[in-house]
Amino acid sequence: MTEEIIWNEVRKNIAEILPSVDVNGIKSNDRLVDLGANSVDRVEIVTLTLEGLNLTIPPHELAKANNLGDLVEILLKKASL
Amino acid sequence: MTKALITGIGITTAIGQGKDSFVESLLAGKDSFGIMQRQGRQKAGLSFIGAEISNFTSSKRLDERLSRRLSFCSQLTVATLEEAWDEARLDEVAPEKIALVIGGSNLQQRELVNTTEAYTNNPLYVKPSYSISLWDTDLCGLCTEVFPIRGVAYSIGGASASGQVAVMHAVDVVESGRFDVCIAIGAMTDISYLECQALRNVGAMGSTRYAEEPPLACRPFDQHRDGFIYGEACGVVIVESIRSATSRKAKPYGKVLGTATVLAGNRNPNPDLESEIAVIDKVLDQSKLSSKNIDYVNPHGSGSIVGDTTEINAILSSDLSNAFINTTKSITGHGLSAAGAVEIIATLLQMRTGQLHPSRNLITPEVNSINWVSQQCVSHKVEIALCLSYGFSGINTALCLENGLQ
Repeated sequence: MTEEIIWNEVRKNIAEILPSVDVNGIKSNDRLVDLGANSVDRVEIVTLTLEGLNLTIPPHELAKANNLGDLVEILLKKASL
Repeated sequence: MTKALITGIGITTAIGQGKDSFVESLLAGKDSFGIMQRQGRQKAGLSFIGAEISNFTSSKRLDERLSRRLSFCSQLTVATLEEAWDEARLDEVAPEKIALVIGGSNLQQRELVNTTEAYTNNPLYVKPSYSISLWDTDLCGLCTEVFPIRGVAYSIGGASASGQVAVMHAVDVVESGRFDVCIAIGAMTDISYLECQALRNVGAMGSTRYAEEPPLACRPFDQHRDGFIYGEACGVVIVESIRSATSRKAKPYGKVLGTATVLAGNRNPNPDLESEIAVIDKVLDQSKLSSKNIDYVNPHGSGSIVGDTTEINAILSSDLSNAFINTTKSITGHGLSAAGAVEIIATLLQMRTGQLHPSRNLITPEVNSINWVSQQCVSHKVEIALCLSYGFSGINTALCLENGLQ
């Protein structure tokens, strides 16, 4: 799985949950909260992404992500195991 | 005697969204029955007749982000409340003086079945938001997020009487003096094929007799009925204190003169004649009325084989011979938790128009000694109406309404 595939999945799910966000402008230091996501939006986006990538990562590991770049890195690391 | 006014209503059913469309279809006896198509009411080998809502317009108060993720039941609730809210001009009332009661429980069984089917093989990825929408009080959260309601908000159940139970409770809340307004919502019971089949198996839901002729399936009080027919619906009733309504110069649809509940002491679905007679006696007593004062009855009239017979006997025993009777469920279908509110709304709109709606398929009534409004509308200015609702578990409720135009 490439980093690009993961980013595409993340962007797709952000667009699904936050339709007003321009996902093409998203950068790795963006935080979901700054894009307007509330706590439920955030876990919805993450859960959809895990499902889309067929990954399983416990919540306490995902909680280490401080921005979207961190999230993609955690997902990529898990996908590479 | 109860003193609370109804100063706004909102209605969404399969025959129309909004009171203008609803009342026009009601008076025309419009047919909206068919084989139900909504996802989650489908299962190989099963088929259920009902009245499903089409051409629904969501509330303009919902942004796209919220709207696209809300369940149908939730969207219906907000849109229907919006109509009632705007009509009653509740933006004029202090949010702390407005309470909300949602009538109904286990409202979103179809969502539950769809979620179960989608995630049975991989429950790890179930949507986190399901943890919120599974509660009936999610509707309280949604309504109080969209509208400035800051009094109390909770749900209340009474099976098929839930809508009327909610209105009765709203009257109690307003009468207590704690709040000026209490919004009662007869929420949509969004059932799946499992509830449909269980209700069919228990003998409550029809129609296997008219399986090939859906327009003929829903026929309360007719000799050829074979059970109730489901109808999607939501009804919102704004209950307000006389003091508040007068000070705001609100134009009431009607006044609630009295409310009553009688319990049959029975967990089962079967009706109880003594309780049905007793609840009519009790509401007349509460309202300081005699049976002769009632000139219109909106019955429970679900189309249940045993239930309708029992209700006819209760009505005949209660000497309501001055009253016209029709059956709203013959046109809307049975909205289950919504029904009691929908029928109060149908009663108020008939009061306002001076017309009583026809009863679909009431061609060979079980008895002729009742003043049925059958195939045609009747012009009649209702002065005092009696609304009846019954729910599984021996719940029998009644409410008297006085025409607000008097």
